[in-house]
Amino acid sequence: MGAPIQLTALQWAPPQFQGQVRDLAVRWALEEAGLRYEIKLSGDAARKTAEYRERQPFGQVPVYTEGDIELFESGAIVLHIAEKPALPGHHALLPADPPARARAKAWIFSALNSLDVHITALCDIDHWAPTEPWGIARRPQLEQMVRSRLEILAAQFAHREYLAGEFSVADIMMIMVLRALRHTTLVTDIPALGAYRDRCEARPAFQRSLAAQMQEYARHTPPSH
Amino acid sequence: MANIRVTGFKWVPPFAQGLVRDLRVRWALEEAGLPYEEKLLGHGEQNSAEHRAIQPFGQVPVFEEGDLTLFESGAIVLHIAEKSPLLLPPEPGARARVITWMFAALNSVEPHLLALAALDSFFAKEEWARLRKPSALAMAQSRLTGLAAGLGDRPYLEGPFSAADVLMTTVLRFIKHTTLVTEMPTLAAYQARCEARPAFKRALEAQLAPFAKYAPVAA
Repeated sequence: MGAPIQLTALQWAPPQFQGQVRDLAVRWALEEAGLRYEIKLSGDAARKTAEYRERQPFGQVPVYTEGDIELFESGAIVLHIAEKPALPGHHALLPADPPARARAKAWIFSALNSLDVHITALCDIDHWAPTEPWGIARRPQLEQMVRSRLEILAAQFAHREYLAGEFSVADIMMIMVLRALRHTTLVTDIPALGAYRDRCEARPAFQRSLAAQMQEYARHTPPSH
Repeated sequence: MANIRVTGFKWVPPFAQGLVRDLRVRWALEEAGLPYEEKLLGHGEQNSAEHRAIQPFGQVPVFEEGDLTLFESGAIVLHIAEKSPLLLPPEPGARARVITWMFAALNSVEPHLLALAALDSFFAKEEWARLRKPSALAMAQSRLTGLAAGLGDRPYLEGPFSAADVLMTTVLRFIKHTTLVTEMPTLAAYQARCEARPAFKRALEAQLAPFAKYAPVAA
């Protein structure tokens, strides 16, 4: 067995962000890989401390430690987990064939850089600036951009069930990104994409990781909620 | 060894020159000492069915090497770095940390700098862009502050120069029309240190050369 794995997650998130905080992707990858991990919960004040910023310069979660290795950035962490040799009885999270492996990794970057960047811009308006004049003026263009990117993504599933053929870490990152749109019908408006999401989210490892994240939030709900 | 081919543009408007993302791929290839040829797309060709078949989002760069076709500049730089210990150290801990900073460049810094740059270029005449600017500027500054603290007094993001610095430097270039980086001595020195590398200069010249050659004749 390798060094013990510890993951930093939020102890609570407002309802609109629950089930979307990025430690979910890391929990999911660890569950798929069959790796045990310990959760370290962090509150808002703790993430502003110099000590925390030393580990995560942008004050976010997740932070991942494995012995001497300490990582941040959910994309980098899930890639790190996926590169480990698969444990007996567990499915590899990256294809073995080098070109297929490079393509699967490219889809992690696509999820984050060709989709998430536009999806986050749209969600930022919906969550933080829905009544601001700039948000109202900007939103239709962004929604159009997101729709266009989602259509292109959906076209990938015309001939395959998952981004890299078989289920892989690329699907974990893509689903993590798509989950931010749950307050809209943008994903379900495209049947092939809705079906892809359902297929991935039906996996027991996803269900376990979502339940684990939600359980902490339920336990730490502030009195005002 | 398979021939490497990188797709870029024949010409882009002046504000985008020196910023197109094939720059980071050319730079990584120059650092790794890997020769490559370029394939240049003319106006509108990025939307052709032929190009969309290898880059579904209609963008550049595309990287071709034998049977392998890759898109996403971050994935391409990672792929090149995996061939070069100079860009990605072999020791597992250091390697994972460099990859962390690669993702940080592309996901924690780039989106906010690009959002600001877009307000100043594509959307400069829009009223909503004027209203959006203060909050976008504050976000970009907050991420630059995090980056400067993360860099601390080290010359590079993680150990010696690496693929993380290739990506972060090209990300910082997106706001070269502002004084945001030059106002922060740590970051200004970092960017200057990285851009002083001969491989960067060769990559930049290689991107810019076609723009001069294919510049549209003013109407």
